[in-house]
Amino acid sequence: MATGANGAAQDRDDILQVNGVSKRFGGLQALGDVNLTVARSSIHAIIGPNGAGKSTLLNVMIGLIEADEGEVVFDGTPLRGVSPHNIIQRGIARVFQTPQIFPGMTLLENVAIAGFSKRDGQFTVNPHQSLKRSEVMDEASAILRRVGLGGKVAEDAGHLSRGDKRRLELGVCLAAHPKLLLLDEPTAGMARHDTNKTIDLLKEIADTGVTKVVIEHDMHVVFSLAERITVLAQGRIIADGKPDEVRGDPKVREAYLGGEH
Amino acid sequence: MSTTSDDRSAGGIAAPAGDRGGILEVFKREPVALAAFTIVIFSMPLWIPVLGGYEGLATLIVIWGIFVLGFDILLGFTGYLSFGHAAFFGGAAYVTGFMYRDVSDNVIVAFVASQVGTLILAVVIGLLAMRRTGIYFSILTLAFAEMLFAAALSIFAPLTGGYDGMTRLQEPNLFGVKMDGLTIFYIAAAMLAIGYAMALRLRNSPFGVMLRAIKENPMRLEYTGINVWRYKMAAFIISAHYAGVAGFLMVTYEPYVATKFLHWSTSGEVVIMSVIGGVGTLVGPIIGAGFVLYFQNVVQAVIGEQWRLILGLVFVFVVAFLPGGFVDLARMVWKATGNRLRARRHNVPDMELTETKYGTEERLR
Repeated sequence: MATGANGAAQDRDDILQVNGVSKRFGGLQALGDVNLTVARSSIHAIIGPNGAGKSTLLNVMIGLIEADEGEVVFDGTPLRGVSPHNIIQRGIARVFQTPQIFPGMTLLENVAIAGFSKRDGQFTVNPHQSLKRSEVMDEASAILRRVGLGGKVAEDAGHLSRGDKRRLELGVCLAAHPKLLLLDEPTAGMARHDTNKTIDLLKEIADTGVTKVVIEHDMHVVFSLAERITVLAQGRIIADGKPDEVRGDPKVREAYLGGEH
Repeated sequence: MSTTSDDRSAGGIAAPAGDRGGILEVFKREPVALAAFTIVIFSMPLWIPVLGGYEGLATLIVIWGIFVLGFDILLGFTGYLSFGHAAFFGGAAYVTGFMYRDVSDNVIVAFVASQVGTLILAVVIGLLAMRRTGIYFSILTLAFAEMLFAAALSIFAPLTGGYDGMTRLQEPNLFGVKMDGLTIFYIAAAMLAIGYAMALRLRNSPFGVMLRAIKENPMRLEYTGINVWRYKMAAFIISAHYAGVAGFLMVTYEPYVATKFLHWSTSGEVVIMSVIGGVGTLVGPIIGAGFVLYFQNVVQAVIGEQWRLILGLVFVFVVAFLPGGFVDLARMVWKATGNRLRARRHNVPDMELTETKYGTEERLR
């Protein structure tokens, strides 16, 4: 059990530490010296105007984009140089802004793939497999029921509505049993009724101890979910704290009023 | 609410995956499909002559059937269009020829050697070509196969016989049993049946589902914790071995190695057979192989050199009007006669999935 390669012991129980991460795209400073810690089993929201670097930050966390400087430490081990599928295997899952699913496969297959990932992800032949195929399939249908798609297991994923695709992607992520779930606007494009259902679902998942980092534009969602909020603007953190602290922060108001809307 | 849900999960992942490509509903059932397939293949020497063919044509169809079956694992399941599969077919053929000429006339020795050769070729070509997708992958495989072809005719000419091909091979035998006529046919047919059984198993296993997921959305697969690279390589190597087995059988059937076995036109023929028959259906490409070989041998004897023109027209017609190949035609007839059918997608890649490394605009953000 190595605790923090840089020697920094985890004072609180943080599942994720982002230490001084910077990223440039050509002339654009997408992220500038971002420092962030996410407490285990919490719901942590990242908000900010469009182009603030929120998605880039999530992409750095799962290795989709490599940071120019700084490092991401997950559960005590730095993630630099770890290939994406290994990062996922360690317990991070990601819901993308545009739902990423397997459109030509059934909902059941979509979720089952994630169910098999722990066993088959590395393509190793293990004669002592404890995981049975029927167990994976049963769990996959249970997860589909949980995300509200129980009646559509045999349908092709590509035919779903956008909102349902989001739900399916969430199901795919849950089937991998993540410790940390990264959600990029999980309620975008949903009607208020569906949004509320998703909020309930996310809260319910949080009760099972899964940590969540959520990017969200909808302040209704943010303030009804998050235990901690980080505000990004132009690639830098301008506020970080409990919802009430952030709500009253004049810098945050300025960023939102001066920027978008 | 979820009453319809659980009947499908009962059969494991096999049920949703299995009924994708079958012609008829009964073909969902693996053993039924396998038994029917085996009967049709093994009885070929009985019914091919009725259609105007000869015994040797049956052997050729079976050998090419193995070749296209493996090709379908790569193209149909995984979505990678190789234009260089002649490298494995021809490579294995040359190794087999070399064994028969210079080492041993025992088919088992030649078989093992040819498969070792195929494995080495597949790993080397795969390691380089599999880094790219789409047209770049196709071109890389084509380039490798052409390099091999050129090498066989130039620097390796003393070994391969250059443009003359490899001649004066010993008569291959299995501890004295000659590989002629029906003997080689039944050996090849057994290998095709085994290859088909393996492909069915593969398709209905989690492994097969991973391969299909690579075709659907490789980025999502990687970000679901799957080592996509290993799965891709496995598919490529398995596919190459089918081609390698076919190459070995070809030379065992007719102890002579033609330079054409390595030529790009051989790779092209496999593509044509697969598309005509129905990519991703396993049986389809084998039907396609039968059709093309029938044209090459029987129809040619009737209409002469025109056969290429006719075959070309058939190909154009299929691509334009029957993107699912002959298998789709069978499905249409089935449907037209009043039977119900599940919808099946064509194997045309989804335009939304235009790729960078793992796909989609996410990466560019």
